Amino acid sequence: MNTKRVLALMLALVMVLGLVAACGEKEADPTDAPVVTDAPEETDAPEETDAPEETDAPEETDAPEETDAPADPDDLHKEGRLDENGNAEIALITDVGTIDDKSFNQGSWEGVVQYAIANDKTFRYFQPTEVSDAAYINSINLAIEGGAKIIVTPGFLFEIPIYTVQDQFPDVNFILLDGYPHAGDWVPAISDNAIGILFAEEESGYLAGYAAVHEGYRDLGFMGGMAVPAVVRFGYGFLQGAEDAAAELGLAAGDINVKYTYVGNFDASPENESMAASWFQEGTEVIFACGGAVGTSVMKAAEKANAKVIGVDVDQYAESETVITSAMKNLKKSVNDAIASIYDGTWEGGISVVLSASAGYTMISMENGRFENFTQAQYDAVYAELVAGNIEIPKDTAENGEQILEPTDLTFELIVVENIK
Amino acid sequence: MTTIAFVVQQTMIFSIPLLIVAMGGMYSERSGVINVGLDGGMIMGAFTGTVFLNQMQGHMSGQGLLLLALLVSGLTGFLFTIFHAFASINLKANQVISGTAMNMFAPAFAVFAGRLLFGTQQVPFRDTFYIREVPLLGDIPILGPLLFQKAYITTYVGFLIFFFAWFVIQKTSFGLRLRACGEHPGAADTVGIDVQHMRWAGTLISGFLSGIGGLAFVVPTSTESNATVYGYGFLALAVMIFGQWRSFKILGAAFFFGLMKTVASAYSAIPGIKSLPIPATVYKMIPYIATLIVLIFMSKRSQAPAAEGIPYEKTGR
Repeated sequence: MNTKRVLALMLALVMVLGLVAACGEKEADPTDAPVVTDAPEETDAPEETDAPEETDAPEETDAPEETDAPADPDDLHKEGRLDENGNAEIALITDVGTIDDKSFNQGSWEGVVQYAIANDKTFRYFQPTEVSDAAYINSINLAIEGGAKIIVTPGFLFEIPIYTVQDQFPDVNFILLDGYPHAGDWVPAISDNAIGILFAEEESGYLAGYAAVHEGYRDLGFMGGMAVPAVVRFGYGFLQGAEDAAAELGLAAGDINVKYTYVGNFDASPENESMAASWFQEGTEVIFACGGAVGTSVMKAAEKANAKVIGVDVDQYAESETVITSAMKNLKKSVNDAIASIYDGTWEGGISVVLSASAGYTMISMENGRFENFTQAQYDAVYAELVAGNIEIPKDTAENGEQILEPTDLTFELIVVENIK
Repeated sequence: MTTIAFVVQQTMIFSIPLLIVAMGGMYSERSGVINVGLDGGMIMGAFTGTVFLNQMQGHMSGQGLLLLALLVSGLTGFLFTIFHAFASINLKANQVISGTAMNMFAPAFAVFAGRLLFGTQQVPFRDTFYIREVPLLGDIPILGPLLFQKAYITTYVGFLIFFFAWFVIQKTSFGLRLRACGEHPGAADTVGIDVQHMRWAGTLISGFLSGIGGLAFVVPTSTESNATVYGYGFLALAVMIFGQWRSFKILGAAFFFGLMKTVASAYSAIPGIKSLPIPATVYKMIPYIATLIVLIFMSKRSQAPAAEGIPYEKTGR
């Protein structure tokens, strides 16, 4: 019996070693797999942190959007950089998801990395153990104990945690993205050391819808993740963009059909793939996939159906050939700018700001766009109109501050919106 | 007709992984070992399978590559399940705890290894496996569109595995011995069957199939693997119980679950259902409610293997 146990233990060990060896092998031959995987194969990241030289491996997602980045480090610097006591001045607390989610958290983290590398600051990130106010506050406390002077928190889920801690640590600056601190009642309660950064997502959505119709698509789809404010704004902007383009093209009422839904998660699940496949089956030509990993499901369905996808948040052109463009918000620039304002003394706290096209924070990807008919000139023209404020786009809240819950509450003359629940 | 074909094609995406993994679960449980670690096995299989695809796609493409990747996934599940088999058979540990440990280990490992290898936890792969139409077979009227168009080879692999697994457990002496170990290991022992060996075999087969199921799950539904199979391993357990540990009932259960999943997510493309005033959430709930009802009514007449979950002690008979 005893020998048997020893034997089995040996077997188990062999298996573990086998796994490790297999991993090692795969890592060792990155050179003979020069294809699609343009992620940096060599991620022996820890040492690199104190030598931020530019590795020239093209990083998949962040490269294209940085039109204005002075020194963008090509990797994610996952280990951060600490001083000799293990402390870091700038700390990011992640929301649901990780710093390599190719979307929201990653964009914010890249902003931190960009500033910290360029200005030789120490930085790191914390990942809360679970999604709860308590866990988020815990992570914030941990970061401050670890020497953080600036805390970056991506996601509206941080609204209440930041509200709770902002007055306890008057010397610490809080940068909250996609929301503003409040006590749970949505009445802004922002201390001078905090700032709430919102984006005019409806503008990006508008450009996406506008471009899709001008490109020649008539059957559109919008698959949002959860109906959180940012996703809703993307969606309503998308509808308005399609409407305005239809008017410009002189289309008749009913020529444009838009299927509209929130899938209720941010997952790449077979359910989402199946829903996208069913829309394509019914004749939808392009789907605006607006919800994190939902995008990979939609892209899969599009690849099978020879249809098209519009990406979201960051430029997702590299993820699939089917991505014709992406509705983006420049998280990286916003985080970088906010941190810079703290160090150069121009910080204006106590407010929530909405970053929009007028300062280049919202856009769609043109340089990596796969358009055949929609031209850069058309894009520049509509963008100028947007910046000039000549375009009215519905938001997630009405004039009286009430939430607009359903797209069917909006009125359109030309496009037909099919709300799918 | 195109609608029916579409529904069948989509149902395959859900049903085939469930079928493969549930058949694996059946092997383990009918040998007497509960394997709740199927979800973990799927995640491990999906991870190594996509890593293999990712690394090899410059050298190979098409069905050969996918078949090799399925083999890699299966072997991973096989090796991974050695832990579970050792703990539950040799050490006589609580099988649910050991399986749970595997479920917790697998996603963590996939995230860790993914970051080590690629810098991100997502492992992308290029899809060169989609079959728009199988030559000749795809032209058969009715049957062609249903089974031989817009499919993945995993569908056919899944059916092959099913029939092979059914044959082995029902028609061979190995299968008979395996089943005996799950029903009455003491009796099996008296006629000279090595209970430990049979249980090892059953558990490792379940690991192999869960690994294959993991890749069969990811390839048709995503462009990358992301250290999760969204609980489909647990769903496969439900399918196995719904199917009362019997091959053909499991086949029926897998397609019932798959059909309901398809209807719930693709109902807007199905004309008859679209006009019904039933919210999609109802369809999402049906498989689970059905499982509960079956469990309630079948609890007295459950066909669960009598000795499953109980470590075999020679002295205890």
